[in-house]
Amino acid sequence: MPEQLRRTVHLTTPPGDVNTVHDFLAELWPEAHGVSDVDRISVETALIELAANVMQHADTDGAGLACEFTIVVTDEAIDMTVRDTGEPGEIQLVGAEMPELDAESGRGLALITALVDHVAYSQEGGHNIWRLTRARTTGA
Amino acid sequence: MEDGPGGVVVLKPEGRLNMVAAPAVREAVASIVEGGRTKIAVDLRAVEFIDSSGLGALISGLKTARQAGGDLRIAGANDQVRLVLSLTNLERVLTPYDTVENAYGDA
Repeated sequence: MPEQLRRTVHLTTPPGDVNTVHDFLAELWPEAHGVSDVDRISVETALIELAANVMQHADTDGAGLACEFTIVVTDEAIDMTVRDTGEPGEIQLVGAEMPELDAESGRGLALITALVDHVAYSQEGGHNIWRLTRARTTGA
Repeated sequence: MEDGPGGVVVLKPEGRLNMVAAPAVREAVASIVEGGRTKIAVDLRAVEFIDSSGLGALISGLKTARQAGGDLRIAGANDQVRLVLSLTNLERVLTPYDTVENAYGDA
């Protein structure tokens, strides 16, 4: 049985926002021994982009949103799962292309796909579920 | 915000430049340009993280400054900021300089 580190945070918007997810990650990293800087930076950026997109697009009625973020760190990979209670299927994660250089928005989903190795979306029991996986690099 | 060399206005955001913080940066640049200053340097030494919202604010500021005949340049970016600039190809329009002084070395 390989060792793994699993942490989950629940948040509701408002007052929760992307800073809640940042704080969750800041508490996680000291426990996740040996994660390289590039993995840490990539995971943090991908998860914050996903959180921002979920909060902006899934909360279509402005009534707030309940989300659950789970991270699992193993020797091989870092898995991220985000579950929310928002509108289904509002976000297309696959095939997102980087916009023109002067665009002021639209980079989030393309960034996510550039930062992780695997992106999946599903609906289960009335929840949107996104799963991101980044294979760990070796070395520091 | 403070005065830098050669008439450059230096903006110093701090912490996380995400969807919560980005609007303030966008508004700060617009306010500087409305006040008649158009050469802006964004000192990112105290910024620990940027996301696409933060990048959008910098691009907005760049466009605002250039439309007024000036420019917006960035300095002091950490590894995370440099990675995000690279993956989005934005380093082509937002070259990360080491220091504010170097950003306007031609000024």
